[in-house]
Amino acid sequence: MAAKPVCVEIRAYQVGFGDCFLLSFVYPKDDRRHVLIDFGTTELPRRGNQAVKPSEHMPRIANHIKAVCQDKLSAVVASHRHADHISGFATDGKSGGSGKIIAACRPQLVLQPWTEDPKAARDARSATADSKRSPRSFLAGLNAMHHLAQHACNVALRPPASMSAAAAKQLRFLGMDNIKNRSAVENLIAMGERAGARAVWAHHGSSSGLERLLPGVKVRVLGPPDLSQTEKIRKMRSSDPDQFWQLLGSARALRGMRVAPIAHPRAGRRVPAEARWFRDRVADLSAQQLLEIVRVLDDQMNNTSLILLFEAGGKKLLFPGDAQIENWSWALQDAPDHEKTRQLLAGVDFYKVGHHGSRNATPKTLLWENFAKRGRAWGRLQTALSTLKGKHGTPAKKTEVPRKTLLEALQNETDLVNTEGHPLASQEPCQTITIKFD
Amino acid sequence: MSEGTTPLPATRRMTVIAQDPSIRRPDGRILMAAIDVPAEDLMPGPIGYRVQVVDYDASTGRYRGAHALPVSAEDEPKAWAAGDPAIAGDFRFHAQNAYALVMKTLARFEFALGRRVGWSFKVHQLKVAPNGLMDANAFYSRRDEGLVFGYFPGRGGKTVHTCLSHDIVVHETTHALLDALRERYLDPSDPDQAAFHEGYADVIALLSVFSQVELVAELLRRGPGGRETLEDEHVLAAALGETILFGLAEQMGDEMNAVRGDALRRSARIKPGQDWLNDPEFKEPHRRGEILVAAVMNGFLEAWTSRLQAAKAPEQKRHVLRRVAEEGCDIANALATMWIRALDYMPPVHLRFGDALSAAITADLEARPDDSRFQLRRHMLASFAAYGIEPASTREDAPGAWRHEPGRMNYERVRFESMRTDKDEVFRFLWHNRRKLALREGAYTEVLSVRPCIRVGIDGFTLHETVAEYYQVARLTPAELGQKGIALPPEYVAELERARSDTQARREQSLRAAGEAADAQAEPETDAVTPVYGGGVLIFDEYGKLKYHVHNDVFGSRQTQRLRYLWSAGLLRASAEGARFAPERLAALHRQRAIGARRFPAEGW
Repeated sequence: MAAKPVCVEIRAYQVGFGDCFLLSFVYPKDDRRHVLIDFGTTELPRRGNQAVKPSEHMPRIANHIKAVCQDKLSAVVASHRHADHISGFATDGKSGGSGKIIAACRPQLVLQPWTEDPKAARDARSATADSKRSPRSFLAGLNAMHHLAQHACNVALRPPASMSAAAAKQLRFLGMDNIKNRSAVENLIAMGERAGARAVWAHHGSSSGLERLLPGVKVRVLGPPDLSQTEKIRKMRSSDPDQFWQLLGSARALRGMRVAPIAHPRAGRRVPAEARWFRDRVADLSAQQLLEIVRVLDDQMNNTSLILLFEAGGKKLLFPGDAQIENWSWALQDAPDHEKTRQLLAGVDFYKVGHHGSRNATPKTLLWENFAKRGRAWGRLQTALSTLKGKHGTPAKKTEVPRKTLLEALQNETDLVNTEGHPLASQEPCQTITIKFD
Repeated sequence: MSEGTTPLPATRRMTVIAQDPSIRRPDGRILMAAIDVPAEDLMPGPIGYRVQVVDYDASTGRYRGAHALPVSAEDEPKAWAAGDPAIAGDFRFHAQNAYALVMKTLARFEFALGRRVGWSFKVHQLKVAPNGLMDANAFYSRRDEGLVFGYFPGRGGKTVHTCLSHDIVVHETTHALLDALRERYLDPSDPDQAAFHEGYADVIALLSVFSQVELVAELLRRGPGGRETLEDEHVLAAALGETILFGLAEQMGDEMNAVRGDALRRSARIKPGQDWLNDPEFKEPHRRGEILVAAVMNGFLEAWTSRLQAAKAPEQKRHVLRRVAEEGCDIANALATMWIRALDYMPPVHLRFGDALSAAITADLEARPDDSRFQLRRHMLASFAAYGIEPASTREDAPGAWRHEPGRMNYERVRFESMRTDKDEVFRFLWHNRRKLALREGAYTEVLSVRPCIRVGIDGFTLHETVAEYYQVARLTPAELGQKGIALPPEYVAELERARSDTQARREQSLRAAGEAADAQAEPETDAVTPVYGGGVLIFDEYGKLKYHVHNDVFGSRQTQRLRYLWSAGLLRASAEGARFAPERLAALHRQRAIGARRFPAEGW
C-alpha cells in the first residue's frame, strides 16, 4: 500500500440540525480509509407538510455510510456529547437502531474529547465532595447537566404564563440537545472496547490515534484544552477552582428529587392575596434563570468539542465540532504555541463551519480573517455547513443560527456546501466534496 | 408619664447571623449578632412599611406561609441568639434574617443621606423572596420590584441558603438602593459604570460586615496575635489584611463564592502598583468592580493601622484586642457613611471611578470637615492612587474634592422653598442658567429628582443641602453627531446602513408582491439615530445657592470613546430604527462573575 492518499472525499449528510461527515481518504489502488465525524440530529427538515422521524431517517444515513465504506470504518469521531452530534450512534428505537449499523462497520478507533473518558466519568460520581476544580468534579458537572436538561424540558412543556413562546421553545431546544443519550454513549464506549479497536480521549496537543490508521495523514488535536491548560490562562483567577461546579449545584440537586413544573404550586400553604403578584414574578424569574443556566451549560458542553486539523498532501482540513470561542481561545491566543497554530490555520483548504454557523463558533479575527484562501478565484477555501434555519436564536438579537452575516461571508468568500436545502428525499442523502492532494 | 404619652421606641433589636452559618464560635455554634432596625408593627409575612417578605419557592412551587416574627428580641426562640446550627433550617428565622438586614441597610442609607430613600419603582415595599429558587445566585430585579435569594446543595450535601449571608443580603439591598438613587447606572456606558454597581455593592456589604464589633474581635482572636492583646506587628495594615480580609474569606464557605464572587479575598490579593485598569481581564465589568473594592478595603486597613499607631503611647508594644476591633468598626462605619453620601455627589450618568472618588471626598469634607482622627480622605486618595485611580477633580484647599461652582447663577425667577422639593422649579433654574451651566440646547433635558437632606456628622455638625439630578439626551443621526465632534465607530455606521437597506429591500419586495410599484410607494428613509446622554447633579446649600455642579456634557469629548467601547463590547447594536443598547442585568452579571466568564465581542458575527 502506498503511504500517501491521493485525495479525500468529504460527504456532508443531510441530518437537519446536526452534524454528520464521512471522510474517505483515497489511496492508490482504490484503497480507502473512512473516518466518520459525528452522527446526530435534533431536528430534521419537514418533507412537504410531514415531519420526518429520526427513527426513519437515521438508519437510511447509516446504511449509506455502510455502503460507502464497504462495512469498514477506520475510525469514528464523536466531537462532543450533544444529541445533534451523537444521537445517530444510539442503538435504541429512537434512532431506528442506526447505531447498530455503524457498530457493524467495526471502527478500529473511537476518538472523543477527554471529557468523555468513561473511567473518569465513573470516578466523577464520587466527585460531589471534591473541593477543587478537578477533572472529576468537572465531569460530574457535565453529567449533572443532563438532569438539568430534563428539568428544562419539563418546564418547557408547561412554561409559566409570562414566559414568551420563543423562550419556551429555546428552553425545550437546549433541553433536548443536552439530555443524556445513554444509548449513544454506551454504543460509543462499546465500539471503543471491542477487541481489535481502541478508544482515545484527546485534548489539545495530545495524540489522536488516527495517524496509525491513515498513512500519510497528520492529525493535530487543537482542542479542547484540559483543565490544567485552561487554568494557566488566568493571571488573576476570577473564580475559585470549583465555581463552575457550584453553578451546577442546581443541576445536581435534581437527581432523585421531584421538581414540579414552575408556576404550578403543588405544595405548601395557600398564597395570600397580597403575595400573589410577587409569587408569579418569582416563578417567571425562576424560568428565566433556568434558561440562563441551561444556556451557559450548553456552551460549556459545546466547548468540550474536539478541534481536529487533518494535513495531507499539502492540504489542510479543519473540523472544530461545535467549539466556541472559549475553546478556540486556548489554541489561538493562550497556548504557548498559539502563533504556530495560527500560521498553520492560515493555510486551511477546507473548513467545517463550527456549531452550525452560530455567531460565536467561527472566531472572526482570530480564525476567519486569518484564513488566507478566502476570496481567491482559484485554490479557494472550501467550506461545509450542516444546519437548519429557524431552530435556534433570533435575528433581532443576532443569535440566529446560521448567523446571516457569517452565511453571507461563507457564500461570498468560499465555495460553500450547505446541507440546508438538500432534499431529504434525494437519492443521495449527502453532498460530496473532493479535495485532491499534491 | 401617662401611658398615652409614652413615646414608641424608634428602633428594635433583632438577631441575625453575623456573617454566614460557616462562621462559628469556638463551641461550634453560629456566630450571631444583634442589630437595631427601625421599629414597626409588622404583619405576618413579615410585611412592613418598606419590605414585604414572600416565602415562595418557585423551584418546588411551594409557599411556606406568612411568618409572624417575634415582636421583640426577648420573644425570639433561644436557639436564635445562641446560634444553634439548626436555625439554618428554620424558615421563620430565614425571613427574620433577610428582613432585618434589608431594613438595617435601608436605615443605614437613610441615616447617611439625611432623608428617606424610596425604591426605584413606584410602590413603597421592596419584595423579598428568601428562598425564591434553587440556584447558586441572588439578585435584585427592578422590573420585579424585589430581591430573590437562591439556595443550592452544598458539597457536603447540606443546603446552602444565600439569604443567611450577611454580605449577600446587604449586597443585593445595596443594588436596590443604588438603583433608587442613580437610576441610570444600569445603562450601558464606560466600563467603570457597569463595574460600579457590583463593586459598590461589595464595598457597602463588606463595610457592613466589618462594622460588627463581635465579628471583628472574633476574627482578630483567631489571628496570630493573641486572645486579649495584640502585638504591634499584628496591627499593621498587611497583618490586619491577612487576619481580617483573608481570615474571613478563608472561613466563609467558598461555595458561596459562586454567588458573591470573591471580592473579599481579592481585595487583599490585588496588590497596588499595577496597571489593573488597563489589564484586559479587568475590562470585564464583573472583574473591574474588584479594583474599586480593593482600593477601598486597602484604604480601610491603612486608616485603621494609622489610627492605632497614632493613638498608642510611645513605649506601647501591645494593643488591647477589643479596642483594636472597636477602632476598626468605627472606621468601617465612617467609611460606609462616606461612600453612601458620595452617591449624592456623583454624576447621574457616565460615572467613572475618578468621579466616584471625588464625590466621596467632597461628601465627607462637607459633612465631616475635621478628618484629623481617622484621616479617611487622605487614605482613600492614597489607596486609589496606588490602584491607578486619580480623582476627577481637585482643589488647593481640598485635594480630590469637586470644585465649587462660581456663584454667578441667576436666582431671580425661582423660589428657594420650591427648589427644595419641586422638579419644575429646579428645571426653571436650569433653564434660566442653561448657558452658565453649559447645558446643551438641542438636547432634551429632564430633572430626575430633587431631594432635601439634613446630614449629621459624627461630631454632631449638621449640614442642610438640596440635591437635584437632571439628565440630557440627544438622538442624532451620524451626520449630526459628526457636527458635534462625536465620531461613531465606522463598523457601527456600516451596520446601520446595512440594516436600513435590508428594511428598504424587504419593503420593496412586499410592495411588489402586492402588485404596487415599489418606487412609487417608497418613502424617503429617515436617518437612523443614536442617542447620547449627559447630565448632572446640582447641590444647593442651605440658602438655596448652588454649591456644586457635577456634570457630564451630552456632547462631550468622551462620547466618541464611550461609543467605541460600547460597540467593541457588543453593548451597542445597529438596527433599522437606530441604536439599540443592551442594559446590564444584575442576575446575568452575577452569573458571569460566578463562572469567571470572558467575553470576546470582537470574535462574534
